[in-house]
Amino acid sequence: MKDASTLFVLCSLATLAASAASSSVVPVPLVSSVARPAVSAGAQANGAIRGRVEIRRVVTPMERRPGVAELGTPPGRGVPDLRRSVVYLESAPRGAFEPSDAGRAVMDQRNETFVPHVLAITTGTIVDFPNSDKFYHNVFSLSKTKPFDLGRYATGNSRPVRFDRPGIVRVFCDIHSHMSAFILVFSHPFFALTDAEGRYSIDNVPPGTYGVVAWNEGTSSDPKTVTVPDRGLVELDFTLR
Amino acid sequence: MKGPGTAVRLSWMLFVCVASTAGAQTLPSEPISIAGGRVTVGGDVTGTWGPDDPGFFNDTDYGHSALRMLRIDVSAAVKMGPHFTFLGEVRSENTTVRPYALYLRIRPWTAREFDIQVGRVPPTFGAFARRTYASDNPLIGYPLGYQYMTTMRADALAQSVDELLQKRSQGWGFLYSVGNRAFLGGVALVSAFRWDTGVQVHGTAGMLSATAAVTAGTVSNPLFHDDNSGRQVAGRVELRPVAGLVAGTSLAWGPFLSGDAARAATVPLPARVAPGNLADGEEKAFTQTAWGADLEYSRDHYIIRFETIVSAWRLPAVRQPALPSSLDSLATYIEGRYKLRPRLYVAARVENLAFSDVTGTRTTLGWDAPVSRVEVGGGYSIQRNLLLKLAYQYNKRGAGKEIPEAHLPAVQLLFWF
Repeated sequence: MKDASTLFVLCSLATLAASAASSSVVPVPLVSSVARPAVSAGAQANGAIRGRVEIRRVVTPMERRPGVAELGTPPGRGVPDLRRSVVYLESAPRGAFEPSDAGRAVMDQRNETFVPHVLAITTGTIVDFPNSDKFYHNVFSLSKTKPFDLGRYATGNSRPVRFDRPGIVRVFCDIHSHMSAFILVFSHPFFALTDAEGRYSIDNVPPGTYGVVAWNEGTSSDPKTVTVPDRGLVELDFTLR
Repeated sequence: MKGPGTAVRLSWMLFVCVASTAGAQTLPSEPISIAGGRVTVGGDVTGTWGPDDPGFFNDTDYGHSALRMLRIDVSAAVKMGPHFTFLGEVRSENTTVRPYALYLRIRPWTAREFDIQVGRVPPTFGAFARRTYASDNPLIGYPLGYQYMTTMRADALAQSVDELLQKRSQGWGFLYSVGNRAFLGGVALVSAFRWDTGVQVHGTAGMLSATAAVTAGTVSNPLFHDDNSGRQVAGRVELRPVAGLVAGTSLAWGPFLSGDAARAATVPLPARVAPGNLADGEEKAFTQTAWGADLEYSRDHYIIRFETIVSAWRLPAVRQPALPSSLDSLATYIEGRYKLRPRLYVAARVENLAFSDVTGTRTTLGWDAPVSRVEVGGGYSIQRNLLLKLAYQYNKRGAGKEIPEAHLPAVQLLFWF
């Protein structure tokens, strides 16, 4: 009986661990840090890639857990903008990885929502995480690209994180499990965030042939190959299902 | 035998293995939302394994150890417009599946933080009872005041102090001579394993929130159907003066002893000191009164929690040496958690459970054996919603027939969505 009990619990633990680990939906890093020698970013004038990303799948924000143990209705929260996508060059021209002045970016915590929901930055960028709510948040990430935990801090305070490696960083709040956001860290500057209509523009792209990828909420398109001519403009649309 | 049969266990084991394997690629990482977000389903699966606990320090309401348990919670919220939400939770602990919560939440004015909850509602009393989920508990064990089974029962009672003292330390299972003669466990000061049934109101104004409830059972013996025609009244006030600081105080009072036990205790016999037959509703006099205070402070990477509970039971006197007018107990714990790294934290809890003295024929002693516990441990996040905990417990009991101390390691794996 005792053996059966032990076996029962151990088996459950093992299968639970295996199942949960394999169910991870954390996307594989999309950002290539290796340049394809398609062109030389020399004396030629740069072009641009523009277009639109259409989201045809249903994208819903992460819901609050049912909260059966709460004594009352939880406070309302903001709705993250899940329609924003990121379009980026899968490979970048030579010289794209030369050190440049990395800037700062802000990911606010407001109405139990990260604002913006998606941030696209270059390596070396420092992201500030202010808390604009009246209660604590605890921003953290377990991503391999940049694991961090900022602890609990009150309204009006902000804590910075510097992102030195390219990759995708999934950001959460340890107190509010429905809060999540993405930070895409690129080792080159050839990426763009779509606007509310899904339009994007990657400017100042050296002439050459590139693979271009669109990404939204952990789903990415297959790379599309485009050739950017000298001073040229390439139109490239994506559909994400 | 306290657990389910071997065949049942093996069946469950097979079911869990198959279900887990089949679902390996589809287990959710966040609550399941359907019907346009109106229905949300969440869940917790917790597997805990520890060695035998021959001193029964971790036995729970349902007669099994909190350190050897597969617990599955599935909870759901169904929003029915801006004013109504239906909430429920089904819980399985090893093989027993029980409805844990089932209530309607009504928000009469959407702009005001005021709710009415009707049904099997969350505990009003105390701080820990609403965060018994493994994801909210930094350690594996539960605080003594919410878990440790005393020699107090709602369906039976000792006829004298001598009988009461004989049962010290045997709260996991014992017999009393008055009332239900079945061999059953006693109650904790406050149950962390069942919710009460009734009506609850909750409101928040600024830094102050207050909750009041009228329910069928008591904090130590929550009920679905009342068994003594008396209702418990409970209240809680919570103050949040600054971010990170929560100070709360709770009070509960209600008839504790079941009508059958009360009547059995007061049948007039020559040797009995009780007044005689109970008048209608007189069993309401045999009550549990509980008061609690709790404090939580968190900042940066640490959380500190303190909670104390005082419980007083009034039981009928049957024979000499008669039970005193009040049997009191005091449970206190302090716990802390510190995050060392994004995936790793350490935690500890120190606690004590004490009982008021009673005087028998030959001696004066606490009415149950005092218990203290130190638990240290930590957790490692394999992924955001998959946590591995390790803990070590040292339990010490000051008296009684059961073994006086136990060193208990335990491991727990938790998955939630």
